[in-house]
Amino acid sequence: MNEKEKNSLSRISSSQVFLTHLCCGLALAVGFWVAHNVYSINLISDPTNTLRLIWAIECPVVILLFSCFRKKPEKCSYLKAVARGLVGLPAGALVNVLGALALGSPVGLQYFEKTIIWSLLMSLFTFVPATSVYGSSWTDWHRIFACTKPKGSLDFMLCLPAHGAVIGAWFGAWPMPLDWERPWQDWPICVSYGAMAGYGVGMVGSFGLAVMRGGQKQIKAE
Amino acid sequence: MRGWWRLGKWTVLIMFLHIIAILIFTKGFLLTRTELAHSSRCSDLSQSPCLSSSSSCWTKPAVDRLIIVVLDALRFDFVAPSSFFEKKQPWMDRLKVLQRVALKNPSSAKIFKAIADPPTTSLQRLKGLTTGALPTFIDVGNSFGAPAIVEDNFINQLIQNGKRVMMMGDDTWMQLFPNHFNKSYPYPSFNVKDLDTVDNGCIEHLVPSLYEQDWDVLIAHFLGVDHAGHIYGVDSVPMIEKLEQYNIILEKVIEVLQNQSGPGELHENTLLLVMGDHGQTLNGDHGGGSAEEVETSIFAMSFRDLPPMPSDFDSSSCEAARNICISSIQQLDFAVTVSSLLGVPFPFGSIGRVNPELYALAVGTWNLEKYKTGNGQDKKTLEEWMQNYINVLCVNSWQVKRYIDVYSALSVIGFSSEDLFHISDLYAKAEENWSYTKNLLLYKNESFDTSLPDLKRQIDGYFNFLSYVAELARSKWTDFNLKMMGTGIGIMLLSLYVHFLAIKKVNKSYGVSLPSSRDSGISFGLIFASFIVVIRACSLLSNSFILGEGKVANFLMATTGIMSLRSSFMKKKMLLEATIFLLLTFILRIAIEVGLSKQAATSQFMSVSSSWMRGISISQPVWTYMAEIVPILALMILGYFLYKAISSCCWGIPKYVIMGTILSYLLIALHWATESNILDLAHLLKGIGKSCIPRTIYAIGLGQLSLLAFGQLFSKEDTSNYKGSLFVKMISILSACSSTIILLLGKQGALVALGSMVAGYCIMRLEGIERHTFNGAVGISSLDPLPVVQWSLLAVCLFFATGHWCAFDGLRYGAAFIGFDEFILVRQAILLTIDTFGFSHILSVFGLPLFVAWPSFFNQTEHRRSLFSIKLFQIFMMYGLITATTVTATILCVAIQRRHLMVWGLFAPKFVFDVLGLILTDLLIFLASIYYFSGEEDCMQCDRGTEIEEPFG
Repeated sequence: MNEKEKNSLSRISSSQVFLTHLCCGLALAVGFWVAHNVYSINLISDPTNTLRLIWAIECPVVILLFSCFRKKPEKCSYLKAVARGLVGLPAGALVNVLGALALGSPVGLQYFEKTIIWSLLMSLFTFVPATSVYGSSWTDWHRIFACTKPKGSLDFMLCLPAHGAVIGAWFGAWPMPLDWERPWQDWPICVSYGAMAGYGVGMVGSFGLAVMRGGQKQIKAE
Repeated sequence: MRGWWRLGKWTVLIMFLHIIAILIFTKGFLLTRTELAHSSRCSDLSQSPCLSSSSSCWTKPAVDRLIIVVLDALRFDFVAPSSFFEKKQPWMDRLKVLQRVALKNPSSAKIFKAIADPPTTSLQRLKGLTTGALPTFIDVGNSFGAPAIVEDNFINQLIQNGKRVMMMGDDTWMQLFPNHFNKSYPYPSFNVKDLDTVDNGCIEHLVPSLYEQDWDVLIAHFLGVDHAGHIYGVDSVPMIEKLEQYNIILEKVIEVLQNQSGPGELHENTLLLVMGDHGQTLNGDHGGGSAEEVETSIFAMSFRDLPPMPSDFDSSSCEAARNICISSIQQLDFAVTVSSLLGVPFPFGSIGRVNPELYALAVGTWNLEKYKTGNGQDKKTLEEWMQNYINVLCVNSWQVKRYIDVYSALSVIGFSSEDLFHISDLYAKAEENWSYTKNLLLYKNESFDTSLPDLKRQIDGYFNFLSYVAELARSKWTDFNLKMMGTGIGIMLLSLYVHFLAIKKVNKSYGVSLPSSRDSGISFGLIFASFIVVIRACSLLSNSFILGEGKVANFLMATTGIMSLRSSFMKKKMLLEATIFLLLTFILRIAIEVGLSKQAATSQFMSVSSSWMRGISISQPVWTYMAEIVPILALMILGYFLYKAISSCCWGIPKYVIMGTILSYLLIALHWATESNILDLAHLLKGIGKSCIPRTIYAIGLGQLSLLAFGQLFSKEDTSNYKGSLFVKMISILSACSSTIILLLGKQGALVALGSMVAGYCIMRLEGIERHTFNGAVGISSLDPLPVVQWSLLAVCLFFATGHWCAFDGLRYGAAFIGFDEFILVRQAILLTIDTFGFSHILSVFGLPLFVAWPSFFNQTEHRRSLFSIKLFQIFMMYGLITATTVTATILCVAIQRRHLMVWGLFAPKFVFDVLGLILTDLLIFLASIYYFSGEEDCMQCDRGTEIEEPFG
């Protein structure tokens, strides 16, 4: 790791982490609120449109926020970071779709739209922040997602919520085959709930770690 | 052989423990009863000591026509007045007409509390009601899966004796009695959400039929209450609406019948029975043995004024305030009582007793004239009644005794000799009286007062006998033996511990071989693998997950696949293998869904699944060609691989074996080609017949196996290249087994074989990732359980993907008749077993050496041979442990859910399949260990200085 990287990592303070996560979380909440109060739909009654709405609100927030933390800001303009975030969106969605299909999400035309919109949302949770920050830097991706050895608050900020969302979605799939005949058991409702819950837990964890690390650093500095 | 015994004893011990545990558990859980195909005939009565009259069959008919209205899942408190219960609930007192009639004419109409015997599911109950027996989960009989009743039953007796039966409502009756009814209006019962179709159908036909003369017995089975309970629960508006609807229709029925009950009219001598087949809990569940589920009701009404019944036999509990009495009856007694009323022979296997109260309701009819002559004749009628009843009881007891005798003689698992002795003793006592009573009845020379005690004693004797038999039968056929179940589970857990111990022990005793880099033994892989196994085990607690077991296994396999992909990203190699593995999981998952859709078509628990499959129309010619050609291509590819394998590294016996397999493959391809319509080969080979090729293939397979066994015994193997020879051994046994399995599984077989080969290769390669990185120098890592877990999940997926599922209708009976036309139990059973467990068990177990024997690792440093066999043994043990854990979970879940609604429909078949699979796996591991380890003797000794004696045994 060279000096510059260290510099870029150390730029992130715990309050920045908190604000970023808060904005992401709030965007989700606003999405739900708008869906409920303005369009009077919710995830259960109209999953496609609700997810689309949440996605539409979450998407700019995530891309614009994480583009601020782009690596090597001197070499990479803000707009470029936003652009690569936008490119990363469908790519991440594709990975999520493939994963979901391998794990057994329903195949079929009537599910096509839901799957696409769900995977776009998942892409926001998992890959888009990382593309905005690191672009296509293989080593960074490798470090965060394959080896799970994040270094610094920024890595944790990318890694924990993403893993949280995936693991949450994995657990969220478990009630699907049960015979309770509840509307929320349909694809992709409970999986989305699981993913959001996991995402939330991941964000809290990442913030907690950032605070801890900040505290340690301060002690060291003193 | 000593070398084998060192490791092999574990397999023997574990197999032994498993068998013991399963036997004990099964004895407590799966109650079995043998179905006898005997049936009673009118002429049989001459063998009995009882009185018979020339005019009638067994008993004098008391009613001419019978109307049975079955209201499914009728709780007792739906019928009985609410004053019988502590608190009036909204669903009570809704069938007011029954209460009103029972109150008004206590001697001709009566409400009974009917006690059903578990399992309280409609099918088993209808079986029980009509046969008068206690159906168990496994009624061993000729009906191999089909639910049609083969035992003698009340409906059958009606048909035999020229009665015409009309049926309307629930189509379960049609399954049970496919061609018994003169006229039937069946309606589909499987859609639980549909509250009205069956009921409306009944209502439409019931009342008009009452004016018809073309039936003697009418059965109308309403389902709405059952469905309303399942969907909404008992305390709900739809339930109350249903009950009120029934009230109206029953009112109508009773009115019509009463209007036509005058002398000479249509319903002069008709009995109306309104009854439930079982109860339900407040949530609408039934199947188990709780009071709510077993307590249902029978309302009986005859349309004549009858004398009050003798109070001695009155079991009713009366409710003083409203002056209404309710008696109690066992459902077991239903078949025989109704048979005696209609004057048909009692069903052969019935163990019920003619219920005095129900009998009295109708039997007054034939001595009605005497009754009318005056009250002074009361005693006379009573005496008459008792004499009739005694004779009926005599016939009843004789018939039950006959059944018990025949059953004990014919059934493998009969009653114990003490019980039989006691039964005979009671019967003898009753009979002793009989000879005296008979004279009394025949000559009637004594006054009634003196004979009454004798008559009563006689009746008591018969009652003792009959109730003892019923009790004995109940304890044998309906009660779970919790102690035995607990013991079985205990032994099963012990066997898991032993399994674990075996792995540990072997690990330790060869501790040198295991690298200390990860000395704690707890790696991420281990935790993850245990997590997968545990979560799969837990999933068996729910009926939904059992139904979707293939999907669950596939989900977990895909999860492991994704983890593999991740680690291959981490190591930056073998990406292709990981991707192919995931792709295979996806393909398997599609195959599993196709299988599930087949299952949904027959299962009563599943709704029809996703509709994407309907988009693909198989009728298109392109698909037909594809379906014909692709399997043959796959077979050719398999053959090509085998050919390459022998050309590179084989000699001697294995070479011949593999060549035999290639020949078999060619024959299979030829067989399929003759069956297809594309090439018009069918008439070309007509002379040889369809069965010739399959039989040749079976013969080749047997020949290969015996050749291998022969080679095992006599050939000296090359000890220098153990891995190579292990690989050759594995290839040859797999190829020897595969041809038969592929043939039995049909066209999908070739594809599945190819797929599982590729999947095995991928798993093995992916395992290699870990091996290379951690132990490049040592060559054998401490065992990573993840690949074994993947392999066992793959086996489970293959079971479901090949169109099987854990139910008896999931067996592919067609496979048993490939190459044979006639049915021979043993032969066909073997073929069916090979078909069912072929890929998922036989090939999986024999393919396990894949993980140590793949030749791509040949060039590594030479290792002591024992290390390989230890690792191989550990893999076998681990695979066995995974299977055993799952089966233990199944057993536990079955025990926990033994009162579940679907215990007989779902949990029990799953239990049977799993248990058979476990024993088969144990056996195969045992055989495989002999096969792979028998050449061990010298090397095991030379490698290790000291031996470690095992602490137990």
